[in-house]
Amino acid sequence: MQINYLVGKTEYLENASKTPALPVFSDKAVGFLAELSKELLAIPGIRNHTDVMSYAYWIRKASLEQAKKEVVREGINRLGRGVAFHIAPSNVPVNFAVSMTSSLLAGNISIVRVSNKEFEEVDIICSAMNRVLDKPQFTEMKQYICIIRYEHSDEITEYLSSICDIRIIWGGNNTIEQIRKAPLPPRAIEMCFADRHSVAVIKTNEYLKYVSENEGNVSEIAKKFYTDTYYSDQNACSSPRIVVWLDDKNDSDFEKAKDIFWNSLEKEVSERYELQPIQAVDKYSMLTELSMKKDGIKLSKNDNSLFIIDVDKLSDDLMDYKMSGGYFFQYRTSSLDDIIPIMGKMCQTVAVFGLDKQAVVDYVNDKGVRGVDRVVDIGDTMGLEFTWDGFQMIEQMSRIIYIYRG
Amino acid sequence: MIEDFYELEPYQLNKEEKAEMLTKELLELTKRHREKCQEYDMFLKAIGFNENDVKAPQDIPFFPVRAFKDVDLLSIPREEVFKTMTSSGTTGQRVSKIFVDKETAMIQQKVLVKILSDYWGKKRLPMLVIDSKETVRNRQQFTARGAAIMGLQIVARDIVYALNDDMSLNVEAVKEFLEKYSGQRFIIFGFTFIVWQHFYNAILDINYDIDLDISSYDLSEAFLMTGGGWKKLVSESISQNEFKKRIEEAFGIKHFLDHYAMVEQTGCIYAECECGHLHASNYSDVFIRDPKDFSIKGIGEKGIIQTVSVLPHSYPGHSLLTEDEGIILGEDDCPCGRKGKYIQILGRLKSAELRGCSDTYADKLSRR
Repeated sequence: MQINYLVGKTEYLENASKTPALPVFSDKAVGFLAELSKELLAIPGIRNHTDVMSYAYWIRKASLEQAKKEVVREGINRLGRGVAFHIAPSNVPVNFAVSMTSSLLAGNISIVRVSNKEFEEVDIICSAMNRVLDKPQFTEMKQYICIIRYEHSDEITEYLSSICDIRIIWGGNNTIEQIRKAPLPPRAIEMCFADRHSVAVIKTNEYLKYVSENEGNVSEIAKKFYTDTYYSDQNACSSPRIVVWLDDKNDSDFEKAKDIFWNSLEKEVSERYELQPIQAVDKYSMLTELSMKKDGIKLSKNDNSLFIIDVDKLSDDLMDYKMSGGYFFQYRTSSLDDIIPIMGKMCQTVAVFGLDKQAVVDYVNDKGVRGVDRVVDIGDTMGLEFTWDGFQMIEQMSRIIYIYRG
Repeated sequence: MIEDFYELEPYQLNKEEKAEMLTKELLELTKRHREKCQEYDMFLKAIGFNENDVKAPQDIPFFPVRAFKDVDLLSIPREEVFKTMTSSGTTGQRVSKIFVDKETAMIQQKVLVKILSDYWGKKRLPMLVIDSKETVRNRQQFTARGAAIMGLQIVARDIVYALNDDMSLNVEAVKEFLEKYSGQRFIIFGFTFIVWQHFYNAILDINYDIDLDISSYDLSEAFLMTGGGWKKLVSESISQNEFKKRIEEAFGIKHFLDHYAMVEQTGCIYAECECGHLHASNYSDVFIRDPKDFSIKGIGEKGIIQTVSVLPHSYPGHSLLTEDEGIILGEDDCPCGRKGKYIQILGRLKSAELRGCSDTYADKLSRR
């Protein structure tokens, strides 16, 4: 079996099933991650890698202590499940570390398969991890981490699946289908992060209020929305694919608000985004397919970096026609009821502006909507959190030892 | 009317004359398809097309070639479909389906004859096809290769297939053909990679132990017509020039006629002249689009190829955005004397390298 180790070695992997699990938020794991944070933040020029930076901030000591308060409860004993086998996605470089972090804090021995695609971010984080693990005070942590690469091999995937207690698959639906062919031991559990879509909802009058309060300077919102979408080529699960305007049908307000919103985004895009030629064809082809299958489609665009596609009603298959790289559906309504069709199982994040987040959650609760795992402000869709896709990651990756107290 | 074009030599029109005729004809086709093909009409509405805005051929909306993979597009009743041509096209498993009626099939053949006779004369020539008969066996479902071969049958006579069904060389058939036509004008036709792999290499590689002494025949009058692009050969470090040089050295072939074509616009091929340029005939034209905003690029500038053609009557394929990159080398001024644009094809657009966590792109392409 040809496994390459970016962190760790064969011995740790072979002994993994005998390595003791750790309690949640063990001092060892927290200490290691906090040190890794320091190590990463000390790298000159690390600011150029926004995603590595955000990761480093996320695992700094204070941030972990805060998370610990939320997870660790007096009188409840939580312990790692054992061996966690992670399959990281190929296109989000830092995700492997995010997945590993929850798993280490849960107390597991973490084996993470990263994509064969070379990313500078992966190398930066792995070499920082190796430097930290080489410090004498972290020697004991070594046996808890293996970051590995291997060419597609059913044999290796089957082997790693056979020794794990929890399998975490990040990836598209095809990847999940492929990996699931490898059986798990009877007691092992699995967490799959499949393909999702996300939605932005803006209250028209609140947006216009913001515009006038800021004397027309809306670049901050444009920058936030850019981060939500173009920063990951609008291809992350959390990237909004549609902008829904909520208003009471005041036409001139709506026209004004959407013009300001898209123009400010377009300015941001023209300065920062590089569109690949095939993306223009992909977007145009998808728009064409949609227009041939559904009535009431209307495209507006200046250049090919930003496609705005007005739809006059929402159907539950609309998201079959989504595309990445700056391709947005636009819909206007006076009631959240109208957007239920796109809040099915596939819907992950609702990003809002001018709308009470709790009100959205209440609505989801009230209607028993199948999707929506997360409600955030516009600009926060890419945030790193210990709750993802409806899972409390650390809780899910650990187990409770229950004491019957009569 | 397409008949107006028939009265002309295929490369006769200069820029202004051609623009005038094409604008009129393409606008007529747009109206026809809009009226008869509902999906096409829906597309035109979605992009806000207004017929009154059309002043030149480039103002006709371009339709992405992928659309033929997503939906069956017909501007005729289904019972009038004479043949369906398919193409695996660019990416994914889905195939393009092009529905051709008798009228369009006839136009395609007529135009192809006119274009090719400009290169090798009006006489029908014997043709050695470097492919297997299997490729054209199913007449209802043609592949791009099958369609190209079938299309050429009308300009050729005494057609012989050089390959067996397993793509091995049919030595006896080739020998018999060459013995008959050595020293005369005839056509050898095949897709570049197949000519290279299954003809050139098969004959020259002594390991194949083929009893065929090609140097004993005179191929100096033969036309080697190729198609299908150069990507596969270039990836094996064989450039187009190298291909010609090696084949001339080994076989003594002097006339080469490569061409650019697509199943969506069968008939009005872009054929290579004596100067090595691919020419647009009166029946079609090429525009290069800037990927940034789809604006028109000038001569010598690289971009996405849009092709227009006055041939498609039974499906809305008269103005297409391809997935190929190319350059217009010049217009009306090729030393060969042919009017119209001459172009260079740079190959398929590179597939996207995206961030993000989903493989929807792959999902999408394999979706039915």
